[in-house]
Amino acid sequence: MRKGTFMRWGVPIAAAAVIGGALGAGPVIAAVSGDPVLPERSAQQLLADAAAATGKSEGPPPMSGTVQQTASLGLPALPQTGGSSPLALLSGSHEVKVWYGGQDKVRVAMPTQLAETNLIVNGDQAWYWDSSSNTATRVKLPQGGERPGSLATHRPEDLTPQAAAEKMLAQVGEHTVISVSNTAEVAGRPAYQLVLKPKAEGSLVQEVRLALDGENYMPLRVQVFAKGSAEPAFQIGYTQVTFTPPAAENFTFTPPAGAKVEEQDFAAHKREMGGEQQERAKEAARDVKVVGEGWTSVAVLPGSLSDLTGKKADGATPGGEESRFGGRDGADPAALLDSVLKSATPVSGEWGSGKLITTKLATALLTDDGRLLVGAVTPEEITKAAGVK
Amino acid sequence: MEAGAPIGASPPSAAIVTSGLTKRFRGGQVAVDALDLTVPRGSVFGFLGPNGSGKTTTIRMLLGLVAPTEGECSLLGLSRAEALPRVGALVEGPAFYPYLSGEANLRRFDAADPTAPAGTARQRIGQALDRVGLSAAAGKRYRNYSLGMRQRLAIAAALLGPRELLILDEPTNGLDPQGTREVRALVKEIAAAGTTVFVSSHLLAEVEQMCTHAAIMRTGQLVAQGTMASLSGGRATRVRIDTPDAAEAARVLTGLGLADVRVGDDVSATLEGHAPEKVNAALVGEGVAVRGFAVVRPSLEDVFVGLTGEGFDVDG
Amino acid sequence: MSTAESTEARTRRTPGLVPVAETLSSAERRPAEPVPPLPPARRPWAFWRLLGSELELTFKRPRNLAMLAVVACVPVIVGITLWIVAGDEAMGGLVADVAGNSLMLTFASFSFLVLLLMPITVSVVAGDSIAGEAGAGTLRYLLAAPAGRTRLLAVKYLNAVVYGYAVTAVVALSALVTGLILFPAGPMTLLSGSTVSMAEGLTRILISVGYVGAGMAALAAVAMALSVFTEVPIGAIAGTMVLVIVCQVLRAIPQLSALEPYLLPSRFTSFDAVLRSPIDTGALMSGLVTFGAYITLSLTIAWAHFSGKDITA
Repeated sequence: MRKGTFMRWGVPIAAAAVIGGALGAGPVIAAVSGDPVLPERSAQQLLADAAAATGKSEGPPPMSGTVQQTASLGLPALPQTGGSSPLALLSGSHEVKVWYGGQDKVRVAMPTQLAETNLIVNGDQAWYWDSSSNTATRVKLPQGGERPGSLATHRPEDLTPQAAAEKMLAQVGEHTVISVSNTAEVAGRPAYQLVLKPKAEGSLVQEVRLALDGENYMPLRVQVFAKGSAEPAFQIGYTQVTFTPPAAENFTFTPPAGAKVEEQDFAAHKREMGGEQQERAKEAARDVKVVGEGWTSVAVLPGSLSDLTGKKADGATPGGEESRFGGRDGADPAALLDSVLKSATPVSGEWGSGKLITTKLATALLTDDGRLLVGAVTPEEITKAAGVK
Repeated sequence: MEAGAPIGASPPSAAIVTSGLTKRFRGGQVAVDALDLTVPRGSVFGFLGPNGSGKTTTIRMLLGLVAPTEGECSLLGLSRAEALPRVGALVEGPAFYPYLSGEANLRRFDAADPTAPAGTARQRIGQALDRVGLSAAAGKRYRNYSLGMRQRLAIAAALLGPRELLILDEPTNGLDPQGTREVRALVKEIAAAGTTVFVSSHLLAEVEQMCTHAAIMRTGQLVAQGTMASLSGGRATRVRIDTPDAAEAARVLTGLGLADVRVGDDVSATLEGHAPEKVNAALVGEGVAVRGFAVVRPSLEDVFVGLTGEGFDVDG
Repeated sequence: MSTAESTEARTRRTPGLVPVAETLSSAERRPAEPVPPLPPARRPWAFWRLLGSELELTFKRPRNLAMLAVVACVPVIVGITLWIVAGDEAMGGLVADVAGNSLMLTFASFSFLVLLLMPITVSVVAGDSIAGEAGAGTLRYLLAAPAGRTRLLAVKYLNAVVYGYAVTAVVALSALVTGLILFPAGPMTLLSGSTVSMAEGLTRILISVGYVGAGMAALAAVAMALSVFTEVPIGAIAGTMVLVIVCQVLRAIPQLSALEPYLLPSRFTSFDAVLRSPIDTGALMSGLVTFGAYITLSLTIAWAHFSGKDITA
């Protein structure tokens, strides 16, 4: 019996190895089982294909899938916010389910523990359903001038890889080194991977990886790597995807019995909420100055502590602020700001003095003379920008 | 492989064989040290030794509860899985489910034996309870059993099937004198039916009264083993004569060729193979007034003391 | 030495040895009558007979029945509480759901019980399985019977799985009966906002029972692995509960959110996947895979240790 001790313990050790292997080295197993080799394509060809895939007039092919978004931006611990609040997307891992049935049919669901929020767009009407408040909100969408299609992708914009890819592609140019591999695998599908590497030294971004489906060039995943870390600081991609038209019942919604039903006119909504916001945004845009170019550009805007509560730094955090249809979750930007400011370090130099906030991907400088500088750059770079009056 | 393999093969002569059986527990304590034991089939084998001498550890190794550090042991010349269904065992006192009745407890252990036919379970359990005299208390919860009833139930559990070997670890522990006599009678009855019985005990008298063979353990080592006769035979049988004519008696005994003649309160000598009745006749013939004449065979205790130079801790 | 002559004298003068002499001579004569060889064949139903005995033991034990009674009471208490507060219009979410449909009480009860009370009952039975027998000493008699170590482990585990499913089914049934008495029956609203028929609602309850039961089976495997390492059943039970609670604490720390999918209790709550439209089979499958991994690892560890363990109690 004693002789068999090692053999016996070999069984759980082997079991642990198999489980550990399946967990940590899924890609390794995939690699062993044979790389998905796609026909060679140059970066330029791919970029064109990708641009075509995202920009096609009939839109991307019908599909459904699970999108996972993971952010580890190195922000200080965020106060616990409501599960479905956009601010919650700034840290941790989030999952949404997406069903896309063609231009005017979209369903996005965000499941949480024993609750779910749903946005269902079908033709000229949209429903926003929040199970925790038992409320269904019907939004009438304007016909004609504003195509529902563009609106349909409006909300999932920050949650789907398509939009993120579009942003990344806009950055491509003389500031970037591009390489391509044809052996990636995302959500079980073979994919091309574009690696975009900033040339500039001062950028906090190590590289951006963009995975495109090997068949239809749909962007499947975007990963942003910060300098000096092996794990992506920000990642959004499909964990599961199928390119078949989803069942029609995904796009029909009938408010359940006993639910509160609210009506909203999109145009009115836009005038009410968006109008004011747009005004502000226009105003802000007038004041924004950009120093530097490409990956190291720094936005300089007039700002002080009191202003900040009304304006959040956009751009550094995709998936940031977007007013939701009827979204009234109790995410408190002020609390977030408080905790961020607590981690700020006072700095000074020839340019003056201020408070520096650093995260893995972005640096912000709030100068004492009332300017706010934001960029995906190193602190040195941002203080340099602060010197440019 | 299991189905009737040994049928037709002549059963090996030994019920238990161990060779170099050693158990060293973690911490280096040697419980059993290179034990070479042979228990012949059909014997009632006394496994004698003070508490803590390694008897229970040996039994646990025989039953496969404890893995030997070195050495081997075999039961009935079979693999352990084949042998155990033919072995009834009582190990270190009774252990049952207190919230079940005696009968339900036996049903539980019968179910654990993969070779026991479920169809005859009720009948076999009834028989086993009957043999230990517990039929009347079969439906009573084990929790309410007396110490003696618990011990008897454990013996009943060992008798659930037809057994070729019965291993009983201290079977009379906790029994009153009446219970002890009953167990002794039961062992005799079982042995008479052809079952080999291996009884461990720390009581010399018990082994002397029940067993045909014995082995003596001391601090994990085997001191002696064999038939009772051969064990005792190692020590000389003496005659003891109660007589007023001590000097004359001593002379006659020496003249007959008896050795180690001692004169004290009485006269004694080792027999050296002489027939006691002839010694007696010679004494009377020489005019020695014999008031009492006794043949004293050495007891196991004498054997033990002689072999180890230590007294046997009878009370454990 | 002439034994024949001395027998009589010995018999008379040393009475203590008489039986020995007699038994000895009869024993020497006996080998002539051969011991009938027993059929050592394994009975085909032996495994199920032992499992039956194990189940009987588990389901007749007052402690285990009391635990079933306690988990059966919780849905009743939850139902009555919700029934009382349901009049309050301001209540939303789960309360409104339950008040609106009798079937929802099952899911509400699961969400109350699945993280603590149900794990306690399962770890009591599974943690007690080997350690309890070892502590009481009955383990040595089972193994000498011989139950076989691997066979005993398998039977004990299946027994714990059956008990886990019994607990789950009792919660579901109690909630269903309470719900049907207190709240309106009819089509059920899912979390996704769509409505399904009552028959489909019942099917979904059945699926959730299957899933939650599988989660309890995974926990039972963990408790079982602890159970083979000790002779003190309360140690294995408490150890399992400590693990469950540590997992809850880890889940509550946002910085450790990366760990969450690998912790067993995080998967218990995924039964709400049946309340979505369509049923989130991905969540159910990944939960079942996690349970499978825990079961495989725990049971192989239990087996590796138990099959070579010295039974000294």
